Amino acid sequence: MISFKQIDLVYNDKKIIEQLSLDINKGDKIAILGKSGVGKSSLFYLLLGFVASYNGEVYFNNILIDGKTVWDVRKQIAFIDQDVSLGQGKAIDWIKLAFDFKCNFLQYFPEKEMDDLLEYFELSKDTLDKNIEELSGGERQRLAIITAILLNRKVFLFDEITSALDKHLKQKTVDFFIKHKEWTVIVISHDSVWLNHPKVKVFDLKEKKWRQ
Amino acid sequence: MAAVDISIFSLIIAILLFSIPIVLSRVYRIGLIKSLLYSAIRMSIQLVLIGFFLKYLFVWNNTILNIAWLGLMILVAVFSVIRSSSMKTNKVLIPAYISFSLATFGIVLFLNIVVIRLDYVFDARYLIVLGGMLLGNSLRGNIIGITAFYTNIKKDRKKFLYTLSLGASFNEAIFPYLRESIQLALKPTFASMATMGIVALPGMMTGVILGGTSLELAIKYQIMIMIGIVTSTITSILLTILMTLPVCFSKYGTLNQDIFV
Repeated sequence: MISFKQIDLVYNDKKIIEQLSLDINKGDKIAILGKSGVGKSSLFYLLLGFVASYNGEVYFNNILIDGKTVWDVRKQIAFIDQDVSLGQGKAIDWIKLAFDFKCNFLQYFPEKEMDDLLEYFELSKDTLDKNIEELSGGERQRLAIITAILLNRKVFLFDEITSALDKHLKQKTVDFFIKHKEWTVIVISHDSVWLNHPKVKVFDLKEKKWRQ
Repeated sequence: MAAVDISIFSLIIAILLFSIPIVLSRVYRIGLIKSLLYSAIRMSIQLVLIGFFLKYLFVWNNTILNIAWLGLMILVAVFSVIRSSSMKTNKVLIPAYISFSLATFGIVLFLNIVVIRLDYVFDARYLIVLGGMLLGNSLRGNIIGITAFYTNIKKDRKKFLYTLSLGASFNEAIFPYLRESIQLALKPTFASMATMGIVALPGMMTGVILGGTSLELAIKYQIMIMIGIVTSTITSILLTILMTLPVCFSKYGTLNQDIFV
């Protein structure tokens, strides 16, 4: 459902990605491996149309991503960035921000589902009333994960979203996503819970091949 | 009843007032003598030249010449906005110039035609003087507004991209930045409006009062020009941003990095 075809990406006169081809099927759980600087985040940026100039083609559901189609593609992907850019203000406002946009508009905010998720990820309800600056890295990561799930999308791009969680929570997060067979999940992670999970396929970006 | 004349000799005596900052600067080593003299000399030369030009502009009072002069003033204003915004001149000059021209000419002509009801709407005394007041007073706001819009999106890059990834349309994504930059730009103007007359007697009023016109008229002119300033500031910022969007953003909705110096 997602395919990168012969991608060449140059950034600041440096070759970030060279002749990369990669196919991802629906329902795949994939971990991208590689040292920093090999273009792991760029891979997500290509899919989301955040880099405008590169050679090669990126397809999502057989649709070529360009300046026109990317706007619809984005609506089908839940993306969380490495730094979990939350901004300022109350946590609950940040979660609800996502639902202010026309494409995510809901008649009723899914309170019940949010409460269940808070419980599963072991966050107390009063976390929502705290200011984002007061939250720990792990709390922020879990809030971002919950928001991504609430968006009700089928494709997830996660850039180092479990790094600040303890072992137990890392495992719970991985289990949650593996359990949904129809979800396509691509993670950039150094966590062994992702990398060593039997259902997760690992792609080595530097060698451009699947780890056996 | 015109203002009392100041002779050149009297003006030189006025310059003697500078001895106070010069002495203070010496004693406390503030180090502002050089910039003080530079600015003072620059100001004097500019004003003498402008006085010379305006004298002829007022005498000839030629429609095309008046419009061209205001056009030139707008160009200088646009250059100073772009230079302060750290954006590349060749990328944004044309859209910014068109926006500023529309805002300035539009409002000055509205004032001349509808409010003051001049018979000759391109009269240099009104077109150039009022236009200059609009430009001069909205300059700071324009600099703040346009700079804030682009630099905030650049600074908030990750948050902006997150917004796009949520599925926001381009307008939805830029809207908070647009709102924030215009509010920021108008803050000083609103503050000066709120204290006007109490803390500061604005230039427009001072001029009209010393010129010997009635106080009532001076106040009416001042109110009119302040309305014009606020309107032209909002209009020129909004138009400039809207017209530079196609140059500054890619079709993917991301900010082009090559627009900054």
